[in-house]
Amino acid sequence: MIAKLSPFQANSPGLRMLRQILRNRSAQIGGILLLLLIFASYAAPLFTDRDPNKTAPPLALKAPSLDHPMGTDGIGRDNFTRFLYGGQLSLRVGLVGITIGALIGITLGLVSGYFGGWLDSLLSWFTDVLMSFPDILLALAIIAILGPGIANAMLAIGISFVPSFMRLTRGSVLSLREMTYIEASRALGSSDFRILSRHILPNSVRTLLVLLTLGIGSSILAGAALNFLGLGAEPPTAEWGAMLNAGMKYVRQAWWLTVFPGAGIFLAVLSINLIGDAISDAVAGTVVSVEKK
Amino acid sequence: MFNYLVRRIFTSILVLFGVSILVFSVIHLVPGDVTMAILGRQKVTAEKVAALREQLGLNDPLYVQYGRYLGNALHGDLGKSIRTNLPVAKSIADQMPSTFVLSMAALLVALSIGGILGMLAALRHGTWLDTLVMGLSVSGLSIPTFWMGLLLILLFSVKLGLFPSISSGNTPAQLFLPALTLGLPEAAVVARMVRASMLDVLGREYITTARAKGLPRATVILKHALRNALIPVVTFLGLQMAYLLGGATIVETMFARQGIGRLAVQSIFNRDYPLVQGVVLVTATIYVLINTLTDVTYVLVNPKIRLK
Repeated sequence: MIAKLSPFQANSPGLRMLRQILRNRSAQIGGILLLLLIFASYAAPLFTDRDPNKTAPPLALKAPSLDHPMGTDGIGRDNFTRFLYGGQLSLRVGLVGITIGALIGITLGLVSGYFGGWLDSLLSWFTDVLMSFPDILLALAIIAILGPGIANAMLAIGISFVPSFMRLTRGSVLSLREMTYIEASRALGSSDFRILSRHILPNSVRTLLVLLTLGIGSSILAGAALNFLGLGAEPPTAEWGAMLNAGMKYVRQAWWLTVFPGAGIFLAVLSINLIGDAISDAVAGTVVSVEKK
Repeated sequence: MFNYLVRRIFTSILVLFGVSILVFSVIHLVPGDVTMAILGRQKVTAEKVAALREQLGLNDPLYVQYGRYLGNALHGDLGKSIRTNLPVAKSIADQMPSTFVLSMAALLVALSIGGILGMLAALRHGTWLDTLVMGLSVSGLSIPTFWMGLLLILLFSVKLGLFPSISSGNTPAQLFLPALTLGLPEAAVVARMVRASMLDVLGREYITTARAKGLPRATVILKHALRNALIPVVTFLGLQMAYLLGGATIVETMFARQGIGRLAVQSIFNRDYPLVQGVVLVTATIYVLINTLTDVTYVLVNPKIRLK
């Protein structure tokens, strides 16, 4: 999908891409949804004056009401308050996870693709090895080593994203490395570091953007999954995946304990996927328009 | 082609070698003393620690330990579980059929639901139906497996009372909810692929030719279009198997089903390192084998690649 461009709008490819994304209906819906979720969780005290960890056994398993919009859990904590505060942690796990993965993966990819040789072979082999642990299994193996806990879960998710980032960056570097302007920069005496950071990385951003966005979604999902399995946040910490785990026991008595935290994860990931799809369309669009020239 | 095959298989062997090193390292990467981590809250005596070190073979130099680990693994010996003292290989072999049946059932769900929806979306390209299918698909990609499982339990088990929420067995009724939970997110991926592939094929000239010949629409769609549209989807199935193996950890834990996924999670909780190592090694090996097989079949089947 290529947006119609009037001559006045088409100034820079980056700006053009941004406009196209902002005009995309699914990106608009996703963006608003995501902002709402972030606002709801980080401005939680505006919506509730309760303590997410305050127990009140007599109030246990109350159905949603005006006083408790999302009901109460097995030990009488307000589910709405826990939902709001839980969002903070769930979203943070996603963001921290992907940041760790991107930082390590992109660095390794740059080095591997740019310098080539035995280092490239070794790093590529290592990526292949890491990629043979399907889906959540790599994160599980890392948790097995480090032990359960929220910080370890973030690290585990981060490491499991390293191979994808490294592979993509490496591929992009390989195609850019032989470009004339890189050669020119080298002829002018630029250092490897300068070439990598000033020329190659900025030109790879577009390719990486899609993985970065969609990766936040997968990272939130993976974090919630680890928490759901009980390998992340320790009780009584509120986190959507952990809340689902706790709510699962009451699935027959209290539907609100499973429906709401899960909906939180779902909406967060959905909003990011909607934005990611729009970005991926826009990136494909700019590539096409460049090729047309 | 022969060269390619040899190279492909050699790469896989190298990767498997790396996997074995990584899995072997698990026990050595544990921060602090691994025996303490295992014994944990038990009363720790010097004898106990010494016995455990002996059992895990930690007293030998690293390369001796690795050589032994690899040698044993190649002979199908993955050590003994610390908790149950049963051979790890046997525990895994016992749990494997259950996971296999679940994955196959989930694959069936994914292919049938995803295939039909993707085909409908392509045939009704640009209509509300297309939008609906794509909307369902992006939702399916965003939904956490475990949440969907719980929603399915709420609907089919709590509300309608049709299917059990805890299901260990392999009868269709017992498999229904776990397979649906594992298969539906996959169906979302399949639907997208079938739609894209079908749209591509429908635009080809041979489809126009087939229609111009006056063939019935159904024949053109099923015989000419769908068959060709399914090729990329089928090659993609290998990778999907891997996703299913990973997803099984969650689904099996949720439904308290037997299987290697649940075994993995439990062994992590129990700090039963030999068992963790075994499950991870076996799963990764299966994954690498499936991938290699997919690539090799692809080359053998596709003449365009074969000639290069």
